[in-house]
Amino acid sequence: MSAIRTERLCKRYGDALAVDALDLDVREGEVYGYLGPNGAGKTTTIRLLLGLHRPTGGSAHVFGLDCWADPVTVHRRLAYVAGEPNLWPSLTGAETLEFLGRLHGGTDRAYRASLVQRFELDADKRVRALSKGNRQKVALIVALATRADLLVLDEPTGGLDPLMEAVFRECVTEARGRGQTVFLSSHILSEVEAVCDRVGILKAGRLVGQGTLDELRHLGAHTVEVTFAGDAPRLPALPGVTVTTAGRSALRFEVTDAIAPLLGALAGTPVQSLTSREPSLEEIFLHQYGDGDGRRPR
Amino acid sequence: MATVAARADAVAAAPRAGVFGALLRRGLRDGRTRTLGFAVLFAAVACLQPLAYRHAYPTAADRASFAASFAHNKAVVLFYGEPHDLLTVGGYTAWRVGGMLAIFAAVFGVLAAVRALRAEEEAGRAELVLAAAVGRGTAFSAAIGAVAIEIVALWLATFAGLVAGGLPAGGSAFLALAIACSAAVFAGLGAVSSQLAPTRRAALELGVAVVALCFVLRVIADTGSGTGWVRWATPLGWVEQLRPFIGAQPLVLLAPVGFCAVAVAVAWRSAAVRDVGSAPFAARDRGRPRLALLSSAAAQALRSERLALAAWVVGIGSLALVIGIVSKSVTSLGISERLQRALHDLGAGSVLTPKAYIGFAFGFFVLAVSLFAVSQIAAARHEEIDGRLQTLLALALARRRWLGGRVVLAAAGAVLLSLCAGVLAWLGAVSQGVALSLPAMLEASANCLPMAILFLGVGALAYGGLPRAGVGLAYGLLLAAYLWQLFGALLGVPRWLVDATPFAHVGAVPAAAFQPGPAAVMVAVGLLASLAAVGLFERRDLTGV
Repeated sequence: MSAIRTERLCKRYGDALAVDALDLDVREGEVYGYLGPNGAGKTTTIRLLLGLHRPTGGSAHVFGLDCWADPVTVHRRLAYVAGEPNLWPSLTGAETLEFLGRLHGGTDRAYRASLVQRFELDADKRVRALSKGNRQKVALIVALATRADLLVLDEPTGGLDPLMEAVFRECVTEARGRGQTVFLSSHILSEVEAVCDRVGILKAGRLVGQGTLDELRHLGAHTVEVTFAGDAPRLPALPGVTVTTAGRSALRFEVTDAIAPLLGALAGTPVQSLTSREPSLEEIFLHQYGDGDGRRPR
Repeated sequence: MATVAARADAVAAAPRAGVFGALLRRGLRDGRTRTLGFAVLFAAVACLQPLAYRHAYPTAADRASFAASFAHNKAVVLFYGEPHDLLTVGGYTAWRVGGMLAIFAAVFGVLAAVRALRAEEEAGRAELVLAAAVGRGTAFSAAIGAVAIEIVALWLATFAGLVAGGLPAGGSAFLALAIACSAAVFAGLGAVSSQLAPTRRAALELGVAVVALCFVLRVIADTGSGTGWVRWATPLGWVEQLRPFIGAQPLVLLAPVGFCAVAVAVAWRSAAVRDVGSAPFAARDRGRPRLALLSSAAAQALRSERLALAAWVVGIGSLALVIGIVSKSVTSLGISERLQRALHDLGAGSVLTPKAYIGFAFGFFVLAVSLFAVSQIAAARHEEIDGRLQTLLALALARRRWLGGRVVLAAAGAVLLSLCAGVLAWLGAVSQGVALSLPAMLEASANCLPMAILFLGVGALAYGGLPRAGVGLAYGLLLAAYLWQLFGALLGVPRWLVDATPFAHVGAVPAAAFQPGPAAVMVAVGLLASLAAVGLFERRDLTGV
């Protein structure tokens, strides 16, 4: 069964289409990275998954349960961390952990205590005196301590320092080790590259790319850099090959398809060195948005 | 270097006055709905009272006997202050309009100042403004300037209402000024409470508590014997001492103007020297965990609301006690039957025996308990605005359970407040030797509840269907229903039209019988509306600001 499955999911706010015919399929036990720039519809997708907003069209299911029709049953099996942790200012961290833990139902208290230590949370401080990063820690500890089958994390590390970010990555990896599914919305590409099995890229409410990092790399263009002994030769136009930089004795190509035609064309030229590398996630990401039409929903 | 200089020139081109003006306009925009609402209310009350008086007492003889009846009736004085001259339209209006609107204006002043100062600080917007090239003095004076303009708008609205009611312009301007003075004084107090309290809500509660204290002081001044001097101790008393229409005392203006100036200066000084966002009354930021009232969302809502609830209990309870105590002085001696009927029409009820007077006063508690119910819907809406509801509903908590819990909590609070009012009024009356039974007063308590349940349901329905406008709509409906009953009869509106408001169907228990039929209808409508509210709430998106 899929942990998350949406079919033709749409959400419209007035004139703006925030999510447009979205088909998501997150398998049980995987860490799914949900990428997109600000305003692409990531948070809207999550609100629809939580049943906080009602789909304009299509459907969203978590573990086979309809998110809008049966939210409480869905929520028993998931834990959610918002990008902006909205908590009660007058409660202390410890009181908040207790309150939200009780509302969720199941909480692993021993694990929670160890999380408080690992995240170095000062649990006696009232929420109103906590910085954004510290409030995010509270929300993360609540979610992780439930050991829910599915963790829905909406840009959960925006306020964390690099040390805590590392702790967070460990926790996500541990969660996957226990068989939990993680849906991680983010625009921190290094974080997604480090922990995610599969990635979906959202653009203006539509999924424009989805797959493992390797699969996405195949979608993106390889970069091939060639230096020549002497002047660079003139090469014929080749399908799937574009010259991005041309120096006197060096050429850089982007190759979107097989590399063989380029190698064939280079045969017999005075090649001194040739390097080829896969695109980074950042290059894939920028490639997806670089040729954008500028249309961005709310 | 050239670019830097050019940029500096461009920045300098924006004049300093532009910053002040921009902040001022921002403040006025934020407060426009509230200002407009109060302005309409003030204009309506100011216009209707003189019209109603002329309608009810067309001749000098009517007015003379009406005035005579109040010479010893301290009970009515309690609500509206001391009447100085009830023989003229102006004197009567000064008493009724001035007494009532001075209190509303005081609440407005606190609301406006706290919204302009502490709310901005709490939300972090003050920090954003002060991080720009804006001095603390500029930001503070722009906020206060906006409040001052709002008070001028209220003055204009009241003035226009009085003139429309047929009163001379000069006296009207002075009466409106007396009311505006109340707003200004309490805006000053609100500015000070904004310096002391850490949150918008705490600052509001502090400010409103001071308004309540000033009201009690005025009651003591107006009803006690030999306590007239206390009037000088309360800004609400200054409004009386200005004596519009009855030998105006412009020199008294020095008191409110001076007080307001001092309060604003103290607040300005505090805002200039303290850390942005800090407050001397802030509770400690650390504490051992206290896990009571965290077992469910409803329990935690009670935990959040407990201070507000305590404030309501103290406010309503102390007023009920005072009403019980002064009910002793009410007597019908020497009042003709005809006048008694006239009094009844005036909406003062038949306030001629202690019991009757308490029945009349409990009409006010019916309103107050309903206001509390709507305020709880407002508190629920704030959970949604601040995003905490999203945190809750992402857990294993059903929407209907959350809203149902909030409604039940509000209803339980209303029961508690009603009980306090009944029991304390009884205690006050019995302490003075008034013959009044506890069961009768418990019945008076119960009589407050149908209306509260009705408006709790209506408020929940409005909130469930219209997240942004719902709370304001519920407050508006409640006040409109109350005022309609107050003025409808006075203006000689046909009976069936007056009967359109539920307030026309509340028996003045313990003076009159409890009306089970209308009460049952109100409760039924309230419950149905609550159910419908849950239905609507379950079908809509959660909505922020």
